Amino acid sequence: MAYIEFRGICKSYDGINQVLKNIDLDIEKGELVTLLGPSGCGKSTLLRSLAGLEDINSGQIILDGEDITHTPVQKRGIGMVFQQYSLFQNMNVEDNIAFGLKIAKMDKAQIEQKVKAAIEMVDLAGKEKSYPSQLSGGQQQRVAIARAIVMEPKVLLLDEPLSAIDAKLRRELQEKIKKVQKELKITTIFVTHDQDEAMIMSDRIHLMNQGIIEQSGQPVQLYTHPVSKFSAEFIGHYNILTPEQLTNFFPEKRFPGNFYAIRPETFLLSSEPIQDPEFMTFEAEVMDFISRGNVLRYTLKCKNVTFTSEVLFRSFALFDVGSVVHVGIEEHNLLMLND
Amino acid sequence: MKIKTHFGDALILFLVAAFLVVPLVLTFFYSVFTEWMDILPTGFTLNFYVEIFSDGAFINSLLRSIIISIIPVVICTISILLVLYVITLYVPRLEKYVEILCNIPYAIQGVILAAGVISLYSGKPGFLSNRIFLLVGSYCIIVLPYIFRGLKNTIGALNVRCVIEAAQVLGCSKLHAFFTIVIPQMKRGIISTMMLAFTMLFADFVVVNMIAGSAFRTAGIYLYQTMSKSGQISSAIIVILFITTLIISTLTLMIQNKAVKSTKRREA
Repeated sequence: MAYIEFRGICKSYDGINQVLKNIDLDIEKGELVTLLGPSGCGKSTLLRSLAGLEDINSGQIILDGEDITHTPVQKRGIGMVFQQYSLFQNMNVEDNIAFGLKIAKMDKAQIEQKVKAAIEMVDLAGKEKSYPSQLSGGQQQRVAIARAIVMEPKVLLLDEPLSAIDAKLRRELQEKIKKVQKELKITTIFVTHDQDEAMIMSDRIHLMNQGIIEQSGQPVQLYTHPVSKFSAEFIGHYNILTPEQLTNFFPEKRFPGNFYAIRPETFLLSSEPIQDPEFMTFEAEVMDFISRGNVLRYTLKCKNVTFTSEVLFRSFALFDVGSVVHVGIEEHNLLMLND
Repeated sequence: MKIKTHFGDALILFLVAAFLVVPLVLTFFYSVFTEWMDILPTGFTLNFYVEIFSDGAFINSLLRSIIISIIPVVICTISILLVLYVITLYVPRLEKYVEILCNIPYAIQGVILAAGVISLYSGKPGFLSNRIFLLVGSYCIIVLPYIFRGLKNTIGALNVRCVIEAAQVLGCSKLHAFFTIVIPQMKRGIISTMMLAFTMLFADFVVVNMIAGSAFRTAGIYLYQTMSKSGQISSAIIVILFITTLIISTLTLMIQNKAVKSTKRREA
């Protein structure tokens, strides 16, 4: 029995458009899982239904063996961090963090001790008396995290907490959240639409699309073995090719199925013919290239089929636009999709 | 070019200030001189003020005006806050209907309102026909659109739903969160709105005269009754009423500035 179980969760706002379509999902204790997907796929709705902020039309939510489907939000023992921080502007950092403990009528000395520990955990010592308006976005979000974890919740929910924060700070906060999660061993559900963030943060990713779980797995597994066209397109910068297009590359071969996914970094590019028998080879013309820091992304064309290839940025491996390159790929890197 | 703009600004400001201040200054002069037959008045005296303040009826009427203006403002503010709580958190679809309902009094003239209220309730048994009760009720109707608009704009600037959800997750009820988190954040807006509504009611003469009658002497009624006796005394009353309003406004501004200063101090 999993720590958190979603059983047949259905949700629609107007009775017609289903936001969640019969979701079944298990989450183990102590895991940091990510609900990943594009806007409107239902990931936040699923998270909010676990928190009790959203009613579901049918299904069952079980937390630690207890059916909490109809339990009021206040009694679910869940901590949540929102995208917009949602700090109480009329209270300082200390009071924000202590708010839940005061509501729970905890002893004053105990509150002080817990608040102090939470402040130290999120590196906000010295900011106790500051008000939210005095803090940066990153600091505000750390207060929100401290406010949630100080309650020692059964589950910590993070609803796109880093989307309003700049890239550098986001990386710092990602590390902070991971550190706090590992330290407290708290079951955490993280919602994001950023696949890179999901890869960095998660023990396990549940990829959602149009109200269903499209694919679940560990980050590497999801990246290397997408099962559908959607997964391949969302998780990486996969080249999605039809069997007919692949036949253009390799006329002697036949390809069953409807779609194939090829990771851009699995192509081997060479100015000389590739001799390795493990590789299937063809020639392509360089149409364009862009630098993404340490990676060069080439746009190549072979018999009217355009695809991309990524290689590590080494000056000796540069190919000019218009030049013809030898392209090689191992057969196991052609991933047949279920679509 | 810049100098010209500054001069233009200063000129406009001067003209507006003169338009507002000159009548008041002249009224004040008229109240501290016994005669004004020539270009300049003659016979400086403060006797008119002494006379007013030695008449207990004036102080009573002033206090009556303040109280009868504050009560409807407080009732209306609390009611609208509760309505906003309900429509923001439970039934947002009712917002447009509440808005229409609250805007109706804009279209009702004071005389029509007073006549309508009297014809509807006079002769009714119990408290319904009590004139003070009717006056408070009518005042509530008059200030309703102003208070609703002011408070709605204030609450609209806050992300109420999200803040209350955050509080709920921490174990707090919606109502408790509304009063401990949302309302403190609305403090400045609430004070401004209440002040605006108060000054409107404080200056009223028509409604109070029609509903409560001249026996219920508010400052406005007192002034009206004095006008036929002495021009100087009524001028002195106008100056006193102006100063009273000024004191109340200043106190309100001081409270607001205190809130702003503490916010700025926090932000510095």
